[in-house]
Amino acid sequence: MIDNVGFSYSERAVLRSVTLSAGEGEFLALLGTNGSGKSTLLDIVSAFRKAEKGSVTIAGRDQQLWSRREMSQRVSHLPQSVHADLPFTAEQLVAMGRYPHTDRWFESDEDHRCIRQAMERTRCWEQRDRVFGSLSGGERQRVLLAACLAQSASILLLDEPSTFLDIEQQLHCFTLLREEARTGKLCVAVTHDLNLALTYCTRLIVLAEGVVAHDIPTPRAHENQEWLALFSSRLSMGSTPAGTPWIWYR
Amino acid sequence: MSSQQFSFAARNSLTLAVAVFVVAAVVLPWVGAGPISLARVLRHEAPDYEILVQLRISRTLLALVAGGALSLAGALFQAMLRDALATPYTLGISAGASLGAVAVIAAGWESFLGIPVTWLGALAGAFGVLALVIGGAFRRRQISAFSLLLTGIAINSVCAAFIIILSSFAGMSRSFSIARWLIGSVDATSYGSLGAFSVVVFLTAIVILSQARSWNLLAVGERWAASRGVSVGTLLGTGYVAGSVLVAGAIALTGPIGFVGLIVPHLVRSRVSPDHRVLMPCVFFYGGALLAFCDALGRIVLPPAEIPAGAVLAIIGGPYLVWVIRQRVPAEEV
Repeated sequence: MIDNVGFSYSERAVLRSVTLSAGEGEFLALLGTNGSGKSTLLDIVSAFRKAEKGSVTIAGRDQQLWSRREMSQRVSHLPQSVHADLPFTAEQLVAMGRYPHTDRWFESDEDHRCIRQAMERTRCWEQRDRVFGSLSGGERQRVLLAACLAQSASILLLDEPSTFLDIEQQLHCFTLLREEARTGKLCVAVTHDLNLALTYCTRLIVLAEGVVAHDIPTPRAHENQEWLALFSSRLSMGSTPAGTPWIWYR
Repeated sequence: MSSQQFSFAARNSLTLAVAVFVVAAVVLPWVGAGPISLARVLRHEAPDYEILVQLRISRTLLALVAGGALSLAGALFQAMLRDALATPYTLGISAGASLGAVAVIAAGWESFLGIPVTWLGALAGAFGVLALVIGGAFRRRQISAFSLLLTGIAINSVCAAFIIILSSFAGMSRSFSIARWLIGSVDATSYGSLGAFSVVVFLTAIVILSQARSWNLLAVGERWAASRGVSVGTLLGTGYVAGSVLVAGAIALTGPIGFVGLIVPHLVRSRVSPDHRVLMPCVFFYGGALLAFCDALGRIVLPPAEIPAGAVLAIIGGPYLVWVIRQRVPAEEV
């Protein structure tokens, strides 16, 4: 639950008053133009940034009352980018997702099982011994996504998870996230691909002018198409032969 | 790789590093301009016994501990700043320590209560910079690697300017002393000082190593670390203070020998593991062994003259740095 959250960079108010609630089993697409505050909102929910006003409640408890570690056991965050030239292998990076769950110096067999499962699901197990910096952009993105899955959090915040992925991998990524949501997790993905959002997500949250301008259940996205105009005047909405809303460019 | 296999590989790497450290501690005191007779040492006969016990052993142990401390600080700062070229110099502590030592040399002070004043000057300079950087880098009660780096660079420049000014007004003989100190060298020291320094290094190293998993996370990014349970501001502050204590103590006793803090973490990262749970202890042991080796080498290359360990390290470290830069392929070009 996000209530009346505000945040500004110096004088520029990015988020004025964002109020939003979401529960388990939902897959939210967080949409908006560049600079509309999508990444900032994820930073605030993951407690990387502190809101200037308002509050965030997670699992019925104020975010401020959770310790860092408790937060990381519940909330996993895929950042928009990480330093590409990392010396770690893909497996070492994914293993970092297990850190919040153990005090052991090295990972247990159970941790290794989670790591392998996450890497197989994101199709990067074959690259496990390769140095992260030597991977292609798409391979890196799959490794980072695997690290988020290995964290076994109930809330996944993903900042542009399909960046660098080819079309097949984008579809696989969003299918995976939808599966996660169906197991009772809450997934929030920032994306600029409106058709991916319409196909896989359960709700569309559109940020504009520092507030939630539109909060639309995906099946009703075609009913009122005002939200489309926020992105471009050249967008139109039709539907696929299967009846799914589909956006095309004029 | 199963956890047992991983632990086995890590244990092997650590065992080898400890073995190199121990071999250096046992063998290197025997290396020097003049031969030392084991038989005479065992009979406590002069001068062999005094040379070995009073000079060579304390000097080797100092090199082992100071080299380990500086290398560990280098690995720590590289993780904190996510910059493979960060050294104990980068955050200004070394420059502050140097300015403190240079100021007391320029003033002509030599000792206070039997303690060399250069030690006190270096410690005062290092902790003065520590206070300045922490004060300057904190913003909205937050600290970031970027603000630490920028503040450190600014303080480095200011300290370098003051060192030049002090050197130019210090007169010929003191200027020579300043230049000699700034190269960095390992000299025999009292076992009391060595013991106190070793205790400080040991306790600080424990603090740093206990956070090894967090350094892994921070080496990826601050956001990455925060969403995996790390309190980034607190961790950066702890790392900066702990690294500064290591650097200040080592530099007070040896002068600024920064290259060891660059070379050793790179070697261990590429040859052993980038995982800080393995990397950091290995870096400590190999760093100590390398500085002690350079010091021993400096004793035998041009006898009876001695080349300071800092100069030997720089001769090895300079070409290595060039090689590192040539080897670095930005990930975007892969």
